[in-house]
Amino acid sequence: METLLNPSKTPNLFIPKTHLFKPYFLHSNFNPQPHSSFNRRPLSITITCKVKTSQGRKNDGKNISKKIVLTDSAPELSNEEIKAKPKGGGKAWGVIKKFPKRVLAILSNLPLAIGEMFTVAGLMALGTAIDQGESPEYYFQKYPEENPIFGFFTWRWVLTLGFDHMFSSPVFLGTLILLGTSLMACTYTTQIPLVKVARRWSFLQSADSIRKQEFSDTLPQASVSDLGVILMGAGYEVFLKGPSLYAFKGLAGRFAPIGVHLAMLLIMAGGTLSATGSFRGSVTVPQGLNFVMGDVLGPTGFLSTPTEAFNTEVHVNKFYMDYYDSGEVSQFHTDLSLFDMNGKEVMRKTLSVNDPLRYGGITIYQTDWSFSALQILKDGEGPFNLAMAPLTINGDKKLFGTFLPVGDTDSSNVKGISMLARDLQSIVLYDKQGKFAGVRRPNSKLPIEIDGTKIVIVDAIGSSGLDLKTDPGVPAVYAGFGALMLTTCISYLSHAQIWALQDGTTVIVGGKTNRAKAEFPDEMNRLLDQVPEIVESSISKKPDNIGG
Amino acid sequence: MGYYDFEQAAMLKSVDTLLLGSSARASWFESEWWHIDEVIGLYDSSEKGMIVTFFCITGLLVTRWIYLGHFPLSDLYESLIFLSWGFSLIHMVFYLKFKKRKNNLSVITAPSAIFTQGFATSGLLTKMHQSAILVPALQSQWLMMHVSMMVLGYAALLCGSLLSVALLVITFRKAIKIIGENNNFSFSFEKIQYMNERSNVLLNTYFLSPKNYYRYQSTQQLDRWSYCIISLGFIFLTIGILSGAVWANEVWGSYWNWDPKETWAFITWTVFAIYFHTRTNTNLEGVNSTLVASMGFLIIWICYFGSIY
Repeated sequence: METLLNPSKTPNLFIPKTHLFKPYFLHSNFNPQPHSSFNRRPLSITITCKVKTSQGRKNDGKNISKKIVLTDSAPELSNEEIKAKPKGGGKAWGVIKKFPKRVLAILSNLPLAIGEMFTVAGLMALGTAIDQGESPEYYFQKYPEENPIFGFFTWRWVLTLGFDHMFSSPVFLGTLILLGTSLMACTYTTQIPLVKVARRWSFLQSADSIRKQEFSDTLPQASVSDLGVILMGAGYEVFLKGPSLYAFKGLAGRFAPIGVHLAMLLIMAGGTLSATGSFRGSVTVPQGLNFVMGDVLGPTGFLSTPTEAFNTEVHVNKFYMDYYDSGEVSQFHTDLSLFDMNGKEVMRKTLSVNDPLRYGGITIYQTDWSFSALQILKDGEGPFNLAMAPLTINGDKKLFGTFLPVGDTDSSNVKGISMLARDLQSIVLYDKQGKFAGVRRPNSKLPIEIDGTKIVIVDAIGSSGLDLKTDPGVPAVYAGFGALMLTTCISYLSHAQIWALQDGTTVIVGGKTNRAKAEFPDEMNRLLDQVPEIVESSISKKPDNIGG
Repeated sequence: MGYYDFEQAAMLKSVDTLLLGSSARASWFESEWWHIDEVIGLYDSSEKGMIVTFFCITGLLVTRWIYLGHFPLSDLYESLIFLSWGFSLIHMVFYLKFKKRKNNLSVITAPSAIFTQGFATSGLLTKMHQSAILVPALQSQWLMMHVSMMVLGYAALLCGSLLSVALLVITFRKAIKIIGENNNFSFSFEKIQYMNERSNVLLNTYFLSPKNYYRYQSTQQLDRWSYCIISLGFIFLTIGILSGAVWANEVWGSYWNWDPKETWAFITWTVFAIYFHTRTNTNLEGVNSTLVASMGFLIIWICYFGSIY
């Protein structure tokens, strides 16, 4: 439907490109002649005797032919044609068709987008200021109604608007969705047409419009073709048509913002997929025990579907830690074996904190550790496993303890030996009175004598804190990240356009750029200095200064 | 380890702080914003001072890296040193790129570098001079890329937003002076320039007198510089945030956790994205973009220090 007619003024055989017209031409004795009326541009060619036949066609009942009459009404033709296609209810359909266009126009409004971005930023800031995920009583206390902050902010605001779980609250997500739709609308309406405009080489025909550019200059005694050659040497793509010239450089700089928006849309889509379709779980497994992946993983959204790999059984072979010389923990390691449903070992790997295990779409991360049990020999008997209990957990600083009763174990006031440990490498022992008795390392196998009892610490059995996760959105998100990084870098390149017009012996040059506005005039001046000056007639040219 | 810090580091630091101080003072004096153009002799010394400072800080970072075995970016103290290195790096890059043209960037970068250094070495952070060992979560290759990109991004964005703040100050100082001049406030040599421009507050009309045209050129230059540097900083910030997300995914299984540090970095990114968008539409350009950039300045500092608490 785009080209109904060749818009040139020379008489051409009119061959209708649309199937709409074909049947009519077969039926009537319609003489194909240039219908310049189909052209959007107002041409002065009028239609002669064909008017009658068009009128005759009108009586067929189709309202298409109605529009072929006069040149004035020509521009509306194709629009009306599209709308006239469905026979009945043409008017209502037209209104409905206009609605998305209006919505698009509203959504791709720039100030709206800026307002949305501000709202998102403000909500995020609020989300960091208000403690997230606490119980309602906490908010009753913190934002009481008797003493509202700023005079109006009470816990009612927090709970009804969902600020206690800000980043999954409807307000925040709604704003994000609005921003996403604005992004899509803007890309569709503004950016993509920009691509079409940028690719077309548009010549400026008048000297005035060239002079109006950001940078403009006049070169007496020069020729456009020389300018064209110089520009080509400088890396521009040059198009010469008669006396006018158009050159551009760095087209990528024009397209990159579109790429940025598309990358952001990809990231948002991947993030949505992650939020609705992933599985998460965490487990603390003592060394030597197993667990099944499916038991640990729980869905996060409505799109989560388990896979075959969920039946894998994970066995913790060994958990150990590396230490610095100062005694601080340097790294955790877990040696894992994976067994499938038939008991065959499918994978064996040692995880550490920055080195997760990936199997069948499920990833296992080493995130935490705990002390499971202490294995000791008492007076040569044993080994006994004493379960270690966490006493204080303060982030990375943990304290575990256990108790070995000595003497009469049935009395109410049973005394014994206490053992405390911060990590797996040294155990501190205390006697019945609670006095410090000594420190032992599990590897040394050195006995210690406390209140007549000989204790040998055989082994410290740790347990590994593992986080399991499956996330279908990660490939999309990573692709979006990579695209965003790339396109942001590319959009730093500047897109420069130069127009020139040969006016007698003078050349009028104008140009503009969208990024490197500071350096552009200097670069232009440098290039223009290189254009040779025509001293005599065009036959013999004498270059004035080259490489100036 | 402590001994190293107090000997060699102190020596390097005292040298470069001295140089910074003198070059900062020199660059302020020679800048036209203070209308003292005759102190040209100090201009060269300030540039040379900054070059030597750059090498000093680089040396400090490299020796720290070799001595400790890990990239020197693991706590607040080291990141502040890296930030001041970022400032001097930006200064070097723009100095080398635009040798012919006098650029006033050193007025921003030199004092920023000295303030950052001063804060880092001040008594507030003495506990942190001893370098800490890396916890397991930080032992990753991603650390180098993520944190260095973030800090470089912050350095560039801080420079750019300071330039915007300066532009704002100049714009509104003129307006205030003009208004004040009508009420016969104190006599200053700015007033002489504006006697002809009584009623004109807008920048566009400053073409009428050659001195004001020069002023307009310099504000335009400020605006373009600020745009240029902020674009660069934005790229670094984007790469930093995204590499941080990928790193988080490798370590903890989730690339975005909405914890305060991440969220504030994202807020910074959003504010500067708003800055770029206000510039595309000429209706909103001008003062609006500088306001947004100034907001960005505050937000960066909140991001840097606020998430420490």
